[in-house]
Amino acid sequence: MKSTDINFIERLQRQEEDALEFIVNTYLPLIKGVTYKVLSPLRNDGVMEECINDIFLSIWNNSKKFHGDTTDFRKWICAIAKFKAIDYYRKAMKKMELTSGYTEVDPEKSAEDELIILEDRKELLQLIDLLEPVDRDIFIMKYFLGLKNEDISIKLGLTKASIDNRIYRGKKKLNQKATNLKLGGSVV
Amino acid sequence: MKDIYELLNDIDLDETEFKEMDVTELEKAKVKRTLKKSIRKKKKMKRWQKNVLAASIIFGLSTATIGFSFTASAKSIPLIGDIFSYFSNENLGLPDDIKNNGLYSDYKAYSNKIGFTEESNGLTFTINDAIYDGKTVTITYTIESEEDLGDGSFLIPSPNIKEMKAQGGSDEISKVADKKYVGLLTISDLEDLKEDKVNIDWDINSISINDMDKEIKGNWNFAFSLKATESNEKVINKSVNQHGVKVSVEKLSISPMSFVVDYHQEVSDSVKSKWDEAYVELTIKDDLGNVYDGQENGGSGIDSYNLNFSKTFQKIDPDATQLIATPHVTLRNFTSENHGEVTITEDGEEKVSSFPTKPGIAPKELVLDDIVIDLRK
Repeated sequence: MKSTDINFIERLQRQEEDALEFIVNTYLPLIKGVTYKVLSPLRNDGVMEECINDIFLSIWNNSKKFHGDTTDFRKWICAIAKFKAIDYYRKAMKKMELTSGYTEVDPEKSAEDELIILEDRKELLQLIDLLEPVDRDIFIMKYFLGLKNEDISIKLGLTKASIDNRIYRGKKKLNQKATNLKLGGSVV
Repeated sequence: MKDIYELLNDIDLDETEFKEMDVTELEKAKVKRTLKKSIRKKKKMKRWQKNVLAASIIFGLSTATIGFSFTASAKSIPLIGDIFSYFSNENLGLPDDIKNNGLYSDYKAYSNKIGFTEESNGLTFTINDAIYDGKTVTITYTIESEEDLGDGSFLIPSPNIKEMKAQGGSDEISKVADKKYVGLLTISDLEDLKEDKVNIDWDINSISINDMDKEIKGNWNFAFSLKATESNEKVINKSVNQHGVKVSVEKLSISPMSFVVDYHQEVSDSVKSKWDEAYVELTIKDDLGNVYDGQENGGSGIDSYNLNFSKTFQKIDPDATQLIATPHVTLRNFTSENHGEVTITEDGEEKVSSFPTKPGIAPKELVLDDIVIDLRK
């Protein structure tokens, strides 16, 4: 039996290898597009290739955590691709700074970006999980998927001021919790 | 607690933000190949199977015999891209957290574009690139067929290189699209002779398709010569002697895209009395933490204990000042299950004998001390 666009999600979740082939055939152009958009400034094909492989491997390993139909699947893997690509971008930038021996003064890079670089992702997720669902989505969109506050406000139907506010309060809350979890040192 | 993959279910990204990009067949095939390797990594090859493989390389039994037939005309073959890089992303045997682009990652830049195409009996055979590093000839090729030939388990006769009296080698073929296959062939000189130029004669008159138990006859003949890439030899002669096994790294030949390590193994009498075979694998890393991907070129020697080997590794990091070679030794006994012997008499009669000689005990694996090679000297 072969994977088709009707049964591939189910087959993927049952870890049938042909489903993996199917998603590579169907979604590689899209995944490549998402990855390219984030990673092209690095001018490093090796990193891009590695990232694409990693994205598909994560889809395979975490397929059971997906729920929804084909349209949802498309969105889900795009979100994974974007989050992975941003992750690779941050790591690559960090590496470059290390090897070149100087630290770029980047006004765009906020303390939260630094935090994500420094923190083990699991610990961070544990923290984010403590927030209310709406705030949690905002934080994931902002810091894992790199969305701007304006875009988040449009997506969630809230005003930008309210997003700014929630992020401010959320950060404060996370800072407290992090201190309680004795992660304070790396948060600052 | 939900993890990020579950949380991403609830995120509604704006899809117009994403644009599809063109992807070649080879790119798709490469991603699939790498993924399959990663997901199957857990099911590791049993150790002894690997040794059987190694043994067959040592004794040169693994002569690849591939048959081809070709149909399409040369012009109709779409540009397939970099076959070296396709076969490069191996990462075999390397720890999960170490990623590298594989042995052949720098080959394309230094190889010679060949581009010969021969067509016969419905099968088109193209030689894409070739390179000779002074030890090993590496050739990439493409096969296109009118009919489906399965998953790419072919047997193609190997080329004849008259400068090499004793040849060892490997051949890997992979299906990249419907009725389209790419391959990477290596032929190494088992003797330590470096030629400035080699002449390759590849006369293929039949290609066997193992999956389908069929043979395609035809005529695909190629002849070309390759000049050796520049290389720089360093005599090392450093050894480690432990547990009755002596491993010596004798020579390093560094070329722009790779380096070849010549090494020698010797086994003491006390080990010989207990084990039928000793097999040494060399892994190499450098002082910067790079782990090098490599491919064994086979070896030769007087028996299964004392052998000269060589192994080709990917390009040395120009900033590395030291290479650290670690010998992994496997001691093994032959049993009727993993070993047999065929004697061919002068009349062409074949006698098959199998033998458990020494008590069948589990193979023993040893890791010897590192051999450190200083690159600055």
